[in-house]
Amino acid sequence: MNLKQFKQMFFAQLRMTFREKQAWFWGIFYPVILMSIFMLIFGSDSNEEFQTQVAIVHEQPNQTSELLFTQLEQIQIVELKTGKPVSREQAEEWVKEQEVSAAIVLPESGESTSVELIMNKEDEQSTSTQAVSATLDKILHQANLAIVGATPTYEIEYVSVSAGESNLDYSDFLLTGMIALAISQGGMFGMVDLVDMQRKGLIKRLRMTPANMSLFGLSDMVMRLVFSIIQIILLSLIGVLLFGANLYINFASLLVIFLIGALSFNALGYFFSSFSKTTEAYMGVANILSFIMMFLSGIFFPIEMMPDWLQPVSTILPLTYFAEGLRDSMVYEVSIFSSSLWLGIGILTLWGICAYLLGSWLYKRKSLVSVR
Amino acid sequence: MPILEVNQLQKSFGDIHAVQGISFSVEPGEVFTIIGPNGAGKTMTLEMIEGLVAPDTGEIHFGELNWKQHAIEIKKKIGVQPQSSAMFDLLTPKENLDLFASFYDKARSTAEILEIVNLTDHQNNQVKKLSGGQRQRLAIGLAMISDPEIIFLDEPTTGLDPQARRNIWEIITQLKSLNKTTILTTHYMEEAEKLSDRVCIVDQGRVVTLDSPSNLIEKLTKEREVRLSFQDGETAALDGELFSNQLESVIRTEREGTSLKLWTLNPEDTLLNLFKFTKEKDYLLEQVSIREMSLEDVFIAYTGKEWRD
Ligand SMILES: Nc1ncnc2c1ncn2[C@@H]1O[C@H](COP(=O)(O)OP(=O)(O)O)[C@@H](O)[C@H]1O
Ligand SMILES: [Mg+2]
Repeated sequence: MNLKQFKQMFFAQLRMTFREKQAWFWGIFYPVILMSIFMLIFGSDSNEEFQTQVAIVHEQPNQTSELLFTQLEQIQIVELKTGKPVSREQAEEWVKEQEVSAAIVLPESGESTSVELIMNKEDEQSTSTQAVSATLDKILHQANLAIVGATPTYEIEYVSVSAGESNLDYSDFLLTGMIALAISQGGMFGMVDLVDMQRKGLIKRLRMTPANMSLFGLSDMVMRLVFSIIQIILLSLIGVLLFGANLYINFASLLVIFLIGALSFNALGYFFSSFSKTTEAYMGVANILSFIMMFLSGIFFPIEMMPDWLQPVSTILPLTYFAEGLRDSMVYEVSIFSSSLWLGIGILTLWGICAYLLGSWLYKRKSLVSVR
Repeated sequence: MPILEVNQLQKSFGDIHAVQGISFSVEPGEVFTIIGPNGAGKTMTLEMIEGLVAPDTGEIHFGELNWKQHAIEIKKKIGVQPQSSAMFDLLTPKENLDLFASFYDKARSTAEILEIVNLTDHQNNQVKKLSGGQRQRLAIGLAMISDPEIIFLDEPTTGLDPQARRNIWEIITQLKSLNKTTILTTHYMEEAEKLSDRVCIVDQGRVVTLDSPSNLIEKLTKEREVRLSFQDGETAALDGELFSNQLESVIRTEREGTSLKLWTLNPEDTLLNLFKFTKEKDYLLEQVSIREMSLEDVFIAYTGKEWRD
């Protein structure tokens, strides 16, 4: 390896990146803005506990229904609208008008075993409705245990849904998601340089010299990794200092998932560049894919919150695994020997290798078809 | 022995026959210019010689070297300024030169090149802020950084203003004084005439003719165009026309008001007789000129086509 040549190439790449304002905007500034917006909307009322209003229909009190009613009353996250049970008609009316997030109809006799949950179709996927449904589930489960005479060995903790703690979780969740997003976009959008260099005839110009083109590619790659490291550090600092995120980092895991992730997304960009004739075409493809991934890969919200039919899509997207891997290694301090980490690494690697091979094949074919 | 020999180069893209059998050889130290209208195949010819595009048929020899066996050696021997003059826009001229210098085992000093292409004052401005002429000079500087024996310049002056063009001519003249071989393309005839030792006129992928500019012009018919304009009005001009037509060397004449154009095989003799005649008649002549023949006329003579810049 020609060290002098590599050094010159690397510093040239570094200088160009530092002078490219777009890189800084999209790589650092944009994720920070996004993070701020989402924190403001979804993490703002940090002192208030998460609460939602429900209606309870308790028309024929009996032993079972009384038991459930007192339990529901004690739970802080559900608040009874007007403080007392109402008629079924009234409850349905409120649900329809979306004045409550759900109505719970308690069993009408000791023999009846069903508890009805009335929800507005439009709200079915909303956080509060989901929370009510989940809470009700837990209460019923507990009640079932009580009925068969078993005492739960542990107390069900509703606090996990309470605001203080979940807010804390959300900032960690969002921060790691944003880092994953920023690095993935760096790779997917960054390779537009390659299209640009081809369009300007720079690749051709370099081929007229004895320059080692693999060395040039390597220097480009190393520069991109350096930029991504800057992204991780800056975004983490901002997340921790400004948004109170808590990071518990396992550096070995982080290093592996970072390298694999960054390389794979760069390979994806390389693949896009292999079939894009213009920078606009490239940006179009990169935009569509990054847009899809941004919302389906659990960057802003957990995947579990998405409709069921969409969730399988998430499980094939590389960003899902990159974000999960970063969370595991930066928030949960998951060790490098964890199998879930390696599943993610495996899928990311597969994406990277396929994209790279396909891109190389297309480049080779192109150079055979047209020499210009 | 020629430093470069090109033999029957051909290149087609489907139905488009970009280059259809171009041959020439270039001697060390000469400025060899390929001239022709847009789309004549100049760039394609250079790109084949530069090893970027494989010709369909034909041979290219750099002395003993050829692309199949000696690609790296040839790349070290040549310097190229492509028509697109591609370079790194976000780097400065100095950084571009340093980077390109690192591609070679031996390279000239960046400062020296900056001096030659007159960019020392702009060495630390990003390339994207340079003017067209400055950019073009840097492109030539990049071609010179490895101190190559042969330099290829593809339309270095196209689109530049007259001053910027003259700057580039100076650089080419300097290259010649350094004994470098320069292969130049242009579609400015006067530029080719001024700079080149030999000119190769191409049209539609073929060599039309090839020689030194003066030989090419000399080879044209001996008929020259002489223009005169008379101060004493149309009658004087008419008188002059009648007289010229009696001269043996004059082929034809054309008159418009007081100005007279005539085509003669012997301009000196014709003019001598004409001056005698006007002296006798006491006519005063305002302007007298013999139109110089240029490469443009050569092109027209060989192709029968109008020349357009
Ligand atoms: N890659 C290509 N595909 C198809 N036609 C081409 C290609 N490259 C050049 N040509 C054609 O070959 C001819 C010669 O082009 P070129 O060498 O660029 O001309 P010049 O440099 O003399 O202006 C033109 O007609 C051009 O359209
Ligand atoms: Mg051209």
